[in-house]
Amino acid sequence: MTSKQFVVSRRGFLKLGVATAAAAAAGGALTARPASAKGGLKPGFESKFTVCDMCFNKCSAIARVSDGVVQKLDPNPKFLKSRGMLCAKGNAGIHQLYDPNRLKHPLLRVGERGEGKFKRISWQEALDLAAAKMGAIAKEHTRCGMLFMAGADMQSTFVHRFAEAFGSYNVISHESNCLLSNNRAFLDTFGEVPIPDVLNSKYILMVGANRFESLVTPDSIDLMTALRQHGCKLVVLDPRYTKTAALANEHHAIRPATDLALMLALMHVLIGEELYDQRFVAEKTYGLEQLRDHVRPYSPEWAEGETQIPAEAIRRMAREMAAVAPAAMVYPGRRSSDYANSTQIRRGFAMVNALLGNWDRPGGLTAARVVGLKGGIPLEAPFYEDNPPERVDSGQARLMFEEEGSFKLTRDAVLKGEPYPIKGFFAYHVNPMQTGANRQKTIAMFNKMDFVMVMDVAMTDTAWMADLVLPSQTYLERLDPASAQQGSSACACVVQRDPVVPAMFEAQPVFWVVKELAKRLELGEHFDFTVEEFRAAQLADLPDAPKALAEDGVYYNPSRLYGVYEGKIYKTKSHKIELFNQRYAEAGLDPMPVYTPLAQPPAGQFRLVVGRNALITQSSSTSNSLLLQMQPDNDLWIHPEPAAKLGIKAGQKVAVSSPAGRQVLTARVTHETRPDTVYMHTGFGVMSKELAAFGRGGCIAAVLVDAVDEISGNMAMHETFVQVAAA
Amino acid sequence: MAVKLGMVIDAASCIDCKGCQAACKVANQVPDGFWRNWIKRGDEEKAALDRLGLRFQPGNCMQCDKPTCVAACPTGATYKEAKDGVVRIDRELCIGCGQCIAACPYDARYRHPQLRVADKCDFCAERRAAGLQPACVDTCPTKARVFGDLNDPDSPAGRLLRTKASVQVVNQKSNTDPNLYYLGDPGPADWPVQAKMPTPWQFWKSLGGPALEALVGLTGLGVIAMYGRQLILGDRDQPPDHASGQPEGGDHDQRA
Amino acid sequence: MFKRSLTIVIALAILATSLGLAAAGDGNARKGKYLFRKNCRACHLENGKAKDLSPMDLTQAQWQKTFADPSKLACKDEFAKLSKDDLNDIMTYMVEGAKDSPTPAKCK
Repeated sequence: MTSKQFVVSRRGFLKLGVATAAAAAAGGALTARPASAKGGLKPGFESKFTVCDMCFNKCSAIARVSDGVVQKLDPNPKFLKSRGMLCAKGNAGIHQLYDPNRLKHPLLRVGERGEGKFKRISWQEALDLAAAKMGAIAKEHTRCGMLFMAGADMQSTFVHRFAEAFGSYNVISHESNCLLSNNRAFLDTFGEVPIPDVLNSKYILMVGANRFESLVTPDSIDLMTALRQHGCKLVVLDPRYTKTAALANEHHAIRPATDLALMLALMHVLIGEELYDQRFVAEKTYGLEQLRDHVRPYSPEWAEGETQIPAEAIRRMAREMAAVAPAAMVYPGRRSSDYANSTQIRRGFAMVNALLGNWDRPGGLTAARVVGLKGGIPLEAPFYEDNPPERVDSGQARLMFEEEGSFKLTRDAVLKGEPYPIKGFFAYHVNPMQTGANRQKTIAMFNKMDFVMVMDVAMTDTAWMADLVLPSQTYLERLDPASAQQGSSACACVVQRDPVVPAMFEAQPVFWVVKELAKRLELGEHFDFTVEEFRAAQLADLPDAPKALAEDGVYYNPSRLYGVYEGKIYKTKSHKIELFNQRYAEAGLDPMPVYTPLAQPPAGQFRLVVGRNALITQSSSTSNSLLLQMQPDNDLWIHPEPAAKLGIKAGQKVAVSSPAGRQVLTARVTHETRPDTVYMHTGFGVMSKELAAFGRGGCIAAVLVDAVDEISGNMAMHETFVQVAAA
Repeated sequence: MAVKLGMVIDAASCIDCKGCQAACKVANQVPDGFWRNWIKRGDEEKAALDRLGLRFQPGNCMQCDKPTCVAACPTGATYKEAKDGVVRIDRELCIGCGQCIAACPYDARYRHPQLRVADKCDFCAERRAAGLQPACVDTCPTKARVFGDLNDPDSPAGRLLRTKASVQVVNQKSNTDPNLYYLGDPGPADWPVQAKMPTPWQFWKSLGGPALEALVGLTGLGVIAMYGRQLILGDRDQPPDHASGQPEGGDHDQRA
Repeated sequence: MFKRSLTIVIALAILATSLGLAAAGDGNARKGKYLFRKNCRACHLENGKAKDLSPMDLTQAQWQKTFADPSKLACKDEFAKLSKDDLNDIMTYMVEGAKDSPTPAKCK
């Protein structure tokens, strides 16, 4: 390029010209030109390890800090669980720290609940008030009159500790709105919840899960590697043509609510054609003969009638999986908050895996690896004789997890006031107003209570409903205990957090809050330590950990990945993997899942299914300006045929309504969903005016009907039938 | 051989997670509503109907070997760096006329609303100076973007270029010889547009050529005139701003 | 005569049910946790007088057997100090967290 050389000299002259011009125009209008700011990384920045908090994965990351300001969050190349990456949400973490609307001071409600009128108070006042209220509730309603809910956060252990010291059994988490029925099913089959070894798998049947789209988790990355480099086949069954479906080898738009039919048919083929892993099943499982009889009627031809997937395809899937077993799996997935029999549905998933013999083997389902973290500083909690005998939600879901409870059943109990009243609520790093189906009931639940306190980073809808709102430090400001992480075939590791920047405004960590509350409630002895001391106790058996954490941001325990169960018993009654679950039989539950067709939407109505993408979190994306730029809104996906019948055009405002409520949002008319199914992303339709997302989209919780899984108490949301009309 | 920085991208590995877009925005303080990089996607409705899958194509300024943006720039603010082939923008020389923006077949540039200069990807120059990878490359979960010296056959990018079939995504009428290569099927391929060159400038250039450039540049008067024009007339008289980040002719679909 | 037999039958029934209850472990596990810590952990902890003990160390059947007949244990006198209800509560706690009882997993 001839002009290249000339460009240099031209520039040189120009620069001189500019300097001259600028000098000549000094003091004049020309100096109004904005200063040329350098974007990007300033030289001389500091690099500090942190652990991302934008989802549950807790990826180690490196913060680049200049003059006390976080410039960028980068991946930690040494963090094997994340395969050295940081997703869009991880990058957007800076916008959580510097969110102009984040909570800055303790706030006390002055208007009606849900009006959003608060006044600023001091921490002293806030803590004194909270302790007084909790004490009053304990006196009048026993300590179980306080409900605690803490999310997947590295300091939630301190909230649980406080609840136990305080003496309330009523502790719930987000998990009963998500995956407890899935965990239950796998626990009851294999005795523990497996981690799929996606990286080494040769065949993955992904049913409902959306690994390339809903979030970026190690499985998302490994799945691409397995597909591109290891010849893995991915078959996706989903009523929607998701991104994962679009990147898969095969997709079937399975009729919603029929997953179990498909699993039973796969079992029918695997057993009937003797394709299951005979040696594995003989040695390590219990109940083959009962299962053989049980699945005899569940042929692929029968399943086709239910699932709308051709029998030939079902039969072929079973054969293909068997051909590459044990490196073949039915992907366990995560969220299972779908139907009233979701535990049994997932039992179906687990049992197919068992027949493939993939447990504890490469490319299959692996057991938890040893990390070696200890429990921290032990708690000698008092026992309160006047407490009721049980949790408020007990006795309904036959195999509810005692430590997790059920949000849905607890909420129902609060609304009824039975078996006993719950009058106080402390929520930390959790947002049931967004994530608990049937938002009207959650609002009603708050209105039943005398005292609601919420601690969070931003004014979420749950905080919006509170009496006392406490500002939490973001993860970038916090000193947190160590946390054990399972990273499938990549690693078993420990991470921890040290502050990257000093705390902003009056934000505090929840550890300090519960410690202060404990002091006021004469429970101070249970919090007589620092986070550093707690951490040291956790790491007591891992002498190499502190150095590794300081130098690499992560500590690895090179513990066994496969063959963990050699010579060990399984945590089931038979001490083997149970195809036939004896404890279920004893409890009066179906020991092997029995298929009963679930209701399909009546004419003129649709089933509402929900999900998200990698730019949406359960809560924090609603106040994250970067994420909202990339995902400004949600919409209602509706198939062109029913849309035409309803006179709905793309981009039009529509009302979606169910017995639970009504929301108005934009229609997205697309072939990516089935004619009988409509879809919404979560993360929008907020009530809180302090969130940047206010005024945009619709809230899934406001429309979803709250059914419940009979066995685990998990929320069941996909039984929601809606009407859609132009708004 | 001189260093030529570029990328070799495996579009098949891209899952459109927008990590690269988020990382770039933060790393380069790209203003709200504008982007230095993008992910093109195929026709989703067609994919849903024919079930033949979707491909996602990450991209950014291609640091072309025949940059029409450089040719369109009246002040020489934008230029191709000799030492590494990156097309740079000198903010102190840029007068915000916007001609380079129209001249880019990839719509890779935008006009910074606060700084009032053109802006685009420079492969994260400050990060590279600090020994870090460009933000998009570093953050990508599937490592779809491989960055490096295309002229070095042993660098990761050079090796891919050498050993695997790859294509450039170009507009036939404005083939600027980009330095982003796509392995295998790149996905959407017809989206780059013909470069819109500033015609009067070209005309005069063809007449007076270098002499004219020198005249305008050297006097500095032309520069002052442009500044004045900008200050007096503000943004009204500028080329399309692409304020929404939605360029013409492209498929910058930001819906996830 | 009949009354006496009835008394014996009832007494036996009560004994049987209390033994049966002990075997089933339907006591209060929460109280059992507290009692275990208060009574057993005094010795049964790391570097303690007795072996470090937690519910996960034995299977459900083994716990039930231990509590049904603690006479062979070194700490059998400690067992004698506790009420039947307390022992039932402790056993329930141990059984619920036993080696072969599926323990809840966290969201990881």
